[in-house]
Amino acid sequence: MNVRVTIVDYGIGNLWSVRSALRYLGHDSVVSTTPSEVAQADTLILPGVGSFRKAMLALRSSQLDEAILEAVTGKRRKILGICLGMQLLAMRGTEDGETAGLGLISTDVERFDSAAMGRLKVPHIGFNQVRSEDQSVLLKGIASSADFYFVHSYRLLADGLAGQHGICHYGQDFLAAYEHENIFATQFHPEKSQTNGLKLLKNFLDY
Amino acid sequence: MENSHKPTLRWCSNCLSMSTRPRISFDKRGWCNACVWMEKKKTLDWASRQKELEQLLDKHRRSDGGFDCLVPVSGGKDGSYVAYNLKHKYGMNPLALTITPALALELGEQNLKAFVASGYNHITVNPAYEAMRVLNRVGLLEMGFPYYGWLISIQAGVVRMANKLGLGLIFYGEDGEVEYGGTTETDKNPIYDVQYMNKIYLEGGYEKVLKESGLPESDLFFFRFPDDEDLQRTPIDITHWSYFENWDPYRNYLVAKEHCGLKEAESSNAGTFTNFSQNDQALYALHAYFMFLKFGFGRATQDASIEVRRGAMDRQQALNLVRLYDGHYPHEYLDTYLEYYQISRAEFDEAIDKYANKDLFEKVEGYWKPRFIVT
Amino acid sequence: MLKKRILFTLLYDNGQFMLSRNFRLQKVGNLAWLQKNYNFSQISFFIDELIVLDVTRGERKPAVFCETLKALTEGCFVPIAAGGGIRSVEQARRLLRSGADKVVVNTPIFSQPALLREMVQEFGQQCVVGSLDLKRTQGDKYEILIESGTRALNGVATEELQRLSDGEVGEWYLNSVDRDGTGQGYDLALLDQLPVDWSVPVILAGGAGNASHIAAGLADSRVDAVATAHLFNFVGDGLKQARSTLLSSGVELASWPTVDVLFGDTLPEQQQDIR
Repeated sequence: MNVRVTIVDYGIGNLWSVRSALRYLGHDSVVSTTPSEVAQADTLILPGVGSFRKAMLALRSSQLDEAILEAVTGKRRKILGICLGMQLLAMRGTEDGETAGLGLISTDVERFDSAAMGRLKVPHIGFNQVRSEDQSVLLKGIASSADFYFVHSYRLLADGLAGQHGICHYGQDFLAAYEHENIFATQFHPEKSQTNGLKLLKNFLDY
Repeated sequence: MENSHKPTLRWCSNCLSMSTRPRISFDKRGWCNACVWMEKKKTLDWASRQKELEQLLDKHRRSDGGFDCLVPVSGGKDGSYVAYNLKHKYGMNPLALTITPALALELGEQNLKAFVASGYNHITVNPAYEAMRVLNRVGLLEMGFPYYGWLISIQAGVVRMANKLGLGLIFYGEDGEVEYGGTTETDKNPIYDVQYMNKIYLEGGYEKVLKESGLPESDLFFFRFPDDEDLQRTPIDITHWSYFENWDPYRNYLVAKEHCGLKEAESSNAGTFTNFSQNDQALYALHAYFMFLKFGFGRATQDASIEVRRGAMDRQQALNLVRLYDGHYPHEYLDTYLEYYQISRAEFDEAIDKYANKDLFEKVEGYWKPRFIVT
Repeated sequence: MLKKRILFTLLYDNGQFMLSRNFRLQKVGNLAWLQKNYNFSQISFFIDELIVLDVTRGERKPAVFCETLKALTEGCFVPIAAGGGIRSVEQARRLLRSGADKVVVNTPIFSQPALLREMVQEFGQQCVVGSLDLKRTQGDKYEILIESGTRALNGVATEELQRLSDGEVGEWYLNSVDRDGTGQGYDLALLDQLPVDWSVPVILAGGAGNASHIAAGLADSRVDAVATAHLFNFVGDGLKQARSTLLSSGVELASWPTVDVLFGDTLPEQQQDIR
């Protein structure tokens, strides 16, 4: 089944590799900068790396923020947020001062807590293990402790959050994968995580 | 070949030296003599060899400003390394000498110039062009040795010049037999003589080729060793640097590029993956191709084996390179060769067919392809 | 646990991929050569990251480099860093739009510190890799070279590094000019040049010839990743062999199933050939 995926382009991040992964899995994708297109999409991917504040400003100024909300909360379309794209789904970011997020995941984004890090380096860069829960859609068919590629200094707080979680430990436990109803998100980059990541993307698209 | 007995082929279990290499032997582990020697070198008493070197140098060191020794150089890494060490580490006054090769390459000429400019006294010997050409041609057609004339002159011509200049010490670079697998006659004895030179480096064919060339004696001055009488009057110690110090071609390359202006080729050399050796003459590629046809291993095998022995790659990595590069037919120089030897393509191909080892190769679509797989 | 990484670095010069030995370049082959002899879409399953650097010695052609980068990274599901000659945010953005996840900068670290800050602001700290070329001078002292290794900074490396705020970029790529392309193994003494409280991930490069060199580099606690740019030594299945050698000797590397194990027969047909 060919799923047509709309990748939200707000001028930040490497869209090429997400498209290349989708192509590899046999799916078409369109990269869109247009709110009306995004609002009409069946399946959304929100990628991104970089600064939370810059990204939110870009989404707002192009009105892509409203378009995403319309598709996801209005039309119940599924969305996958990747890395910064995951963070943008949260309530609030704290990089470069406090910025409101899209509010689809009811938690905040904070920098790694330096007190817990010891000699660990930040950014957290590289492949690290993600522990998944049995009923996970995203991590189905993937080892219960599998390596995924991370590159980030901020992460989502998992305390008291509803939904399915994938947890990674780096100095402290943090939310590496999230899914609740039609909202999916990964702090790691599935498109950069070799076959584990390809499988995860396939799970998302097949759902 | 009448005897259809096919030799069992094997390759060194440490590097990729092939059992067809003349004078090679393998130990119980399957290591070739070059690898055994590499291992032995790690625990060798180099300090005492350095003393031997110092004694030898002192024996020949002069105080009148004259040259102490002769170092054959091409501008390449090895001769440059030896000259550099003699001058800068041991305070000798070496004279560097180059026998101009046939079909010299521009890069080689630049490198030689750069070497000389880096601070050496140097002479160039140009044996009669036509004489070397005829000898190279006889070498190609009668022995499958495309630059046999030049090979003679870098032995005989060098000794001849040392004799005429009254220099009693000649330093070659490495003893290829000891370093790359062959006889170990000289691994305990640094000084050798003209007879050994003839036997090993010219494979005993030297008199025969000179005779068959039909060249007059007057053309052969740089192709004949001095006679016994001359040699007795001015005895010459002929030696290899590799006896006295651990020979590492890669280190030589690093030193030569740092101190003697050595430059590499822009692309890989034909038939191998390196670009920093044998850049002086176009005939080397043909020489390497004939070696491949006769014995089944080419330049990439030799280079990769050196890389394995110095610890830069493992055997499997070397194998990948050999499969990719070895046995390259020197297309790029073909016209140059035909013009130089003054032979037709048919005659050239005939020489190739004559020397290709039929046990090892079969002709497929006009080219000799190995019947074996390097393992 | 965070795994250490093995990076493969490709050096690009005007349409050709190069081997560098002590920063002297040797042409090895073009994109077709690379795809044939590395079977790139397959071998990329055996590395953790790819770095592609435009080291063209003459005038660079950024548009052509970007096209090459796109072709190279198609079907390559690892992080990709690209760089070489970046002198503006716009140039960096072009690379990030052509398949790169990160950009690598060298000379501007010293010649345009403002650009470095601007890029970090624009793309985030994790997106910028600082590359430092170190060359041994006397004894255990090093100098830092810039402009493709042609110019040395005045100060000794330890002092220059002390002056750099290590938090400026996401990662540091430390390359030994002396070991570059030699296959003599990494120069671990490079790590001694870093201030002791260095807190950003370090990629060690320069000198790896085989799996045991890679293992020795990864074994140092100050190293987060190692890189090799040796196009010859790892040709064919060399990277795959090295990874499996390291994994079987107990080195903690990330692992993932092969394509067929994960997907069985459910993979679309056009992808079957890459298994």
